[in-house]
Amino acid sequence: MDPITLAVVGNALAGIAEEMSAALIRTAYSPNIKERRDRSSALFTPEGDLVAQAENIPVHLGAMPFSVRAALAAFPEWRPGDIAVLNAPFRGGAHLPDITFVAPAFNEGALIGFVAVRAHHADVGGMTPGSLPARATEIYQEGLRIPPVKLWREGELDEDILGLILANVRTPWEREGDLRAQRAAVETGIRRLAALAGKLGAEALFAAFRELMDHAERRMRAAIRAVPGGTYGFEDSLDEGVTVRLELEVRGEEIVLDFAGSSPQVDFPVNAPLSVTASATYFALKAVLDPELPPNAGAWRPVRIVAPEGTVVNAGPPAPVGGGNLELSQRIVDVVLGALAQALPGRVPAASQGTMNNLTIGGIDPETGEPYTFYETIGGGMGARPGKDGIDGIHTHMTNTLNTPVEALELAYPLRVERYELREGSGGRGRYRGGMGIRRDIRVLGHRAVVSLLADRRARGPWGLEGGEPGAPGEDFLIIDGKEKRIPSKGTVEVRPDGVISIHTPGGGGYGPPRSRPAGDSNVKM
Amino acid sequence: MSPEVLLGVDIGGTFTDFVWTEDGALRALKVPTTPAQEEGFLAGLARLPAGEIERIVHGTTVATNALLEGKWARTALITTAGFRDVLAIGRQNRPSLYDLTCDRPAPMVPREWRLEAPERLDSRGRVVRPLDEGAVREIARRIARGGIESVAVVLLFSFLNPAHERRVREILVEEGVQVPITLSSEILPEFREFERTSTTVMTAALRPVVERYLLRLSQALLSRGISAPLLVMQSNGGVAGTAEAARRAASLLLSGPAGGAIGAKRVGAVAGFANLITLDMGGTSADVALIEDGEIALTPEREVAGRPVRLPMVDVHTVGAGGGSIAWLDPGGGLRVGPRSAGSRPGPACCGRGGTEPTVTDAHLLLGHLPRERPLGGLPPLSVELAAEAIRGIAGALGLPLERAAWGILEVAEATMERAIRVISVERGHDPREFVLVAFGGAGPLHGASLARKLGIPRVLIPACAGVLSALGLVSADLVHTYVRSLVVPLTDVSPERVNDLLAAFRREAEGILKAEGVPEGARKYRPAVDLRYRGQAYELSVPLPDRPFSAEDLAELESGFHREHERLYGYAVPGEPVELVNLRLTAIGEAEAPALPRLRRGGSVEGALIERRPVYFGEGWRETPVYAREKLPPGAELRGPAVVEGRESTCLVPPGARASVDAYGNLILEV
Repeated sequence: MDPITLAVVGNALAGIAEEMSAALIRTAYSPNIKERRDRSSALFTPEGDLVAQAENIPVHLGAMPFSVRAALAAFPEWRPGDIAVLNAPFRGGAHLPDITFVAPAFNEGALIGFVAVRAHHADVGGMTPGSLPARATEIYQEGLRIPPVKLWREGELDEDILGLILANVRTPWEREGDLRAQRAAVETGIRRLAALAGKLGAEALFAAFRELMDHAERRMRAAIRAVPGGTYGFEDSLDEGVTVRLELEVRGEEIVLDFAGSSPQVDFPVNAPLSVTASATYFALKAVLDPELPPNAGAWRPVRIVAPEGTVVNAGPPAPVGGGNLELSQRIVDVVLGALAQALPGRVPAASQGTMNNLTIGGIDPETGEPYTFYETIGGGMGARPGKDGIDGIHTHMTNTLNTPVEALELAYPLRVERYELREGSGGRGRYRGGMGIRRDIRVLGHRAVVSLLADRRARGPWGLEGGEPGAPGEDFLIIDGKEKRIPSKGTVEVRPDGVISIHTPGGGGYGPPRSRPAGDSNVKM
Repeated sequence: MSPEVLLGVDIGGTFTDFVWTEDGALRALKVPTTPAQEEGFLAGLARLPAGEIERIVHGTTVATNALLEGKWARTALITTAGFRDVLAIGRQNRPSLYDLTCDRPAPMVPREWRLEAPERLDSRGRVVRPLDEGAVREIARRIARGGIESVAVVLLFSFLNPAHERRVREILVEEGVQVPITLSSEILPEFREFERTSTTVMTAALRPVVERYLLRLSQALLSRGISAPLLVMQSNGGVAGTAEAARRAASLLLSGPAGGAIGAKRVGAVAGFANLITLDMGGTSADVALIEDGEIALTPEREVAGRPVRLPMVDVHTVGAGGGSIAWLDPGGGLRVGPRSAGSRPGPACCGRGGTEPTVTDAHLLLGHLPRERPLGGLPPLSVELAAEAIRGIAGALGLPLERAAWGILEVAEATMERAIRVISVERGHDPREFVLVAFGGAGPLHGASLARKLGIPRVLIPACAGVLSALGLVSADLVHTYVRSLVVPLTDVSPERVNDLLAAFRREAEGILKAEGVPEGARKYRPAVDLRYRGQAYELSVPLPDRPFSAEDLAELESGFHREHERLYGYAVPGEPVELVNLRLTAIGEAEAPALPRLRRGGSVEGALIERRPVYFGEGWRETPVYAREKLPPGAELRGPAVVEGRESTCLVPPGARASVDAYGNLILEV
């Protein structure tokens, strides 16, 4: 195919994926999708290979192909108007709140590809509101599992399946609105892909698919060639000792990432299905080797991931997985970055906060008498980079969702934010300083609330590099009448009326020895 | 010069453009822009014929430049205790997902000057913690001693109750602070603290810069005996007096693009088109915007230089595709164009000023779209050899003949612009096929027809005065002032008295300002509106209110209007779901009389306008193509593609199969 048409088609496909995401944002109901933008869209070949993906949430980067493969395995036959829906982590999903739509696109009666749209739903049932229970010991407690099912067949909604889903979630009306928005996004993608095929002809479209994947593969191979060959080991763990172990081997133009030796899966919700491990691995490789690499199936052909079944990086039933996507995914990134730092000194930053600080507060609003659930994630310190300080108070690596504005939060919930500030001195000292963590204090007003926290890097701070010191670990407190009491970073506490939850997120690791930092350039203050 | 002259002066990066009325006709002049913008302004003014000027309307990049160059005033920010870092943390997201070296723009106020006032209001605006006045006096003394040039005050929930912010200002003044003090409750009484802080800080930090500039300019005008009122173009597509413009300095950030959109709207109106998509393609970037039913699409918020500004602004989408955009091959061998640009130094390779990388302009020259070895619009002759040399590397690597590679550069640049147009149309619920594409800027008319075909747009308008379109927009613009206040209450709980009181207060303020700006009563128009949403949503939709006292009966109509708008934009509505009133808005307009555009009076013929015939490449291959001089084409002239129409400021490409005609005003209209 001529390179001009190829460049133009590549642009058009990326544009279609972006337009699908824009359609979802526009029509979604819940703030989690609309404001925090926790969603992704992608296009696939008729065989299920990823050809284009919108630049959305990194944790969905490598995971969408698993969904499409699972849908294709479940349904050998597809007709126009069919849409498969799934969230089951061991059958194409990541964690239960992420619901993925997969639908075929046709041109003149022939299958030309698939589109997929994933969105994080605010609740899919289970033992706590928000469906990310920190105390879950098996996946059955985390909510409704949807294996690939056709929710629409030839354009007809299966009311029975929809009814079953809605009967199992806490906010059925909102779910219905968001599912409808996902369908609108899917239809946007189908329409645009069909129009493109109509313009080019199906054969030319397939040729473009192949060439785009080959192009990404060439780019990735070129990037790997520049990495010195050899085997680089690294390991890191969550606070409870759950360990991710990696041997990263660079052989010519290929990379093998072997996670053998990682901890067996555990009975608390930090296990990662293979799709999450793939996402985290791809994120780290793309960020270090070629940030502009087009994320399609070709890019990952030279990459092989070995993750033994039954471990935390390739968990199976009945392991709970809510935090695998959120917390273990960050540790997997840290481990891949740690290995790459040995292969490419001077190219890799120190460890970032390494957690998303998932906070859920639920209770009965004393003014309205209605139950509420509030969920947010809190930024922290970015690891110092070779050549510059890490960014203060920011989301890093596998997430990039927005915060909830203090004024929006207080208008909607019986809560008051008493502090939202940077933790001075929390950035790891070094020639370049790690970014600072955040302190966020929230008072529960006039009622009892249940507060769940799912966070990490509380036992040890994120590591420094090249002589840089680690960032400060996070700390979490319950403050009652001015008295601070430490609370567990993974667990649930009941808070009395007017108690304050105080979350201190980790600082990023430092880079280079602190003594080489120029005098007068504070390593503590900003 | 006859009396009652209307003068528009638009200062851009390279040129300062003048447009004025003379004996009922429009005249234009271009002079080079000077680093101190008022110098170029005065130099041009000296070249205008003497006469009585009735009004000067000015478009300036002084605020934008100060922001981009980091030359804003030393500013202090006073926040609620516990929240001084809101400005630094932002929405805690990072600008790039995969680039580990990316940075957020530094806060405009460093931490040592982000000062905390002990106080707190709750989400109803009630005092939870009284203002600690002693602590504020301490802060005031620090500010007075510290060489601070401007102060911003942003306290939580001040949009519901501005008492604490006002008291802070009183104390600052009592303690001898003499610099401007900007309160968030006056600039942007809307919820979401980061966006409000960012906007208020930007306003405060730019205010002294804009104030000093406008003062210097006014004094210089006065010293030349010109006492006509000076008005300034704002980002919202309306103009304001100098006092209001300085007080709301951040509202000038998109002054230039706003002028261009109004100019396009004016030209579209006389050509008989009310639905327009504008494409302004210059040397480094392309700006696209949308006009529906003669109304310029505004956005309530956008980022400027990486920082959010929440003020109504022309919804301009900018992409890095311009005449100077550089073509390159990525590590996988894929062809890419931009966003890096050769700019004006060294400029495209064909200019012979040392540039060696291939640009969009080099591709056009190689394909015969631009004249070879003949000066063009004041530029020295362009060198095809240099252009070919620059493109050769890419052509070799792609295994393509030179002209295919050059054509490819144009195709890839157009793919970027096509996506930009889809963003402002399709992604906002508009069908581009129902619009006319207005292409201007130095490079716009070269791409207009081709882009229109890609998007299914049937018609392209190349304005006669494309080179001074922004300045033309200035003399056509109304005065516009906008007011907003967040309420965030269920629609069922809205008190009509409260709404009427607030609207009346907005109106009193607007009336005073419009009066001071010399707008006669009959020309003052008021457009109230409310922003509504379903409870729990994070986005609002604006729905207009009738311009009369609001009554309880209006609530039902308002609610159904909201459902309809939601259905239109988002594809569904949910009657029965609770609706919230988020913001109350008033747009006050002082209607200005736009000067008539000049009709083309010359005669002549198409044949008489022919400059030459030359081979021109159009994708399918080379075609022997007639080249016409735009200034010699008479009204009513009709051309069939392939053709090239060369104007003083830009060259228009009419591809094979398209038709072009010249209307009574000298606009080129392409049917593609």
